[in-house]
Amino acid sequence: MSAFNVSGKAAIVGIAETDYLRGTEQSILQMILSASMGAIRDAGLKPSDVDAILPPPGFVAWDEIAAHLGVPNVRYTVCPQMGGASATASLRTASMAIATGAADVVLMTVGWNGYSAIRPRPDARPNKRRFNAAFFETVKNYYAPYGLRSAPWWYSLYLERYAKHYSVPPEAAGAIAVACRKHAQLNPKALMRDRPLTMEEYLASPYITEPLRKLDCCVETDCAAAVVMTSVERARDLPHIPVTFLGGAEGHPNRPDELINRKDVLDLGLDLAAPRAFAMSGVTKDDMDFLQIYDCFTYVALLEIEALGYAERGGAAEFVKNGNIELGGKFPMNTHGGLMSQGHCWGMNHIVEAARQLRHEAGAAQVRNCELGLVTGYGDLGDGSIAILGRGVR
Amino acid sequence: MKMPEKAAVPQPEELDREFYRATVAAGALCMQHCNQCGTWTHPARYYCPHCSSDEFSFDRVSGDARVYSYTVSHATAESAWKDLVPYITIVAELAEGPRIVAAADGFKPDAVAIGQRLRIVTENKSEDFAFFWAQLADGSSP
Repeated sequence: MSAFNVSGKAAIVGIAETDYLRGTEQSILQMILSASMGAIRDAGLKPSDVDAILPPPGFVAWDEIAAHLGVPNVRYTVCPQMGGASATASLRTASMAIATGAADVVLMTVGWNGYSAIRPRPDARPNKRRFNAAFFETVKNYYAPYGLRSAPWWYSLYLERYAKHYSVPPEAAGAIAVACRKHAQLNPKALMRDRPLTMEEYLASPYITEPLRKLDCCVETDCAAAVVMTSVERARDLPHIPVTFLGGAEGHPNRPDELINRKDVLDLGLDLAAPRAFAMSGVTKDDMDFLQIYDCFTYVALLEIEALGYAERGGAAEFVKNGNIELGGKFPMNTHGGLMSQGHCWGMNHIVEAARQLRHEAGAAQVRNCELGLVTGYGDLGDGSIAILGRGVR
Repeated sequence: MKMPEKAAVPQPEELDREFYRATVAAGALCMQHCNQCGTWTHPARYYCPHCSSDEFSFDRVSGDARVYSYTVSHATAESAWKDLVPYITIVAELAEGPRIVAAADGFKPDAVAIGQRLRIVTENKSEDFAFFWAQLADGSSP
């Protein structure tokens, strides 16, 4: 059976994001509703136009979003359970729903109190909202007893092998941190605006757990973001130039709920997803005008660059050199500052930025005349996702 | 070496508990072993990833392993480990194939390297949990 082609059928027509804060009076639900209503209005639509909701993989459920926004007739809902890969994966899921007629207008949103509620803080407000994942059992039984409590410690279990086996220079990871910080200086909403970073400062950053320095880790923030998709036909009548979904895929390492017993621990879900997405899209990696790469940790972003095909395994250091991933370079990356320097919104902020770029509304960070770009996601111990987007109906 | 006093001892469920119970009873590392094809699997699974059999036992392994990966933690989010930084955590690849996380016993932070030969020893903490230590095997240069 030949595959039903979803390419070119649906488009992002609305985007919104909250500020990226450390400490907020708003609850997760309030932030998610604010971003969602923002994206619906940006699309020139009303809540009653929405008929599908893809909620975040935790904290807030689709039905309370529908109830608070006043979405009277939800025809389709599904929740991608893949942590930071969920947002980008949902672009394909939404496109499938739209292309098959299961839904007309799809709302996707993510948000959290990533700063205020994840670790106990004296000023934190009580918060019952939880994110749960199957791999937490693995963590509880096999990693946490060894002092490996959260993401930097889990991921260092394989990232140190990457760094040592391929002799990855710290300057390669530093190039990611520096590029993201540089781009954040152009973004009024970036948490790390007005805090520029040099390679020397990066290299002086203390280790958290090797190979990860403090400045290899993204910034914890309170935030939410949302996007709205509809058919390319309906998109023509809406206020903004449509940002069309051209190709996308998700991929999952075997086994997905555990980190260290994979045949090759460096295999990401994105290694499997990227070739499928490019094949669907009809364009190639060399056609991309920008890359919005999920950057929870710099070294993970290096592995993703390799999974996308821009370098051999272990060879991303060459690709990120000499400003190649900075604005003005060949493949500007994370033009909003990324998770590293704008804020951690589970990659929904990468999608918002990709759409802003392709609308040519990215202000000082605009990649001139950009037509094509990609977004990736990474989460839950290696799940991967990718979406390839284009300006206008193609 | 002892597992840090204040560290929470997990209360595993389902197959994870069976795995730990076998290891605690043997006083040495045991692994899920497929009765059909002999594949060793960790963490344990209800169906063998190689042959899909659901018949298995937890059998003692040799304890021989090599450093597959590791991390040196200079900071920690786990309060029980705060006074122990920098500490080394090792991903040990067992001679039988599976990999486990173990705490390094007797290593200097700058003397751990991929490929070093290890012995895995266990420390019983409850009926349902044993802590794993990775020690340099005799003849492996520190």
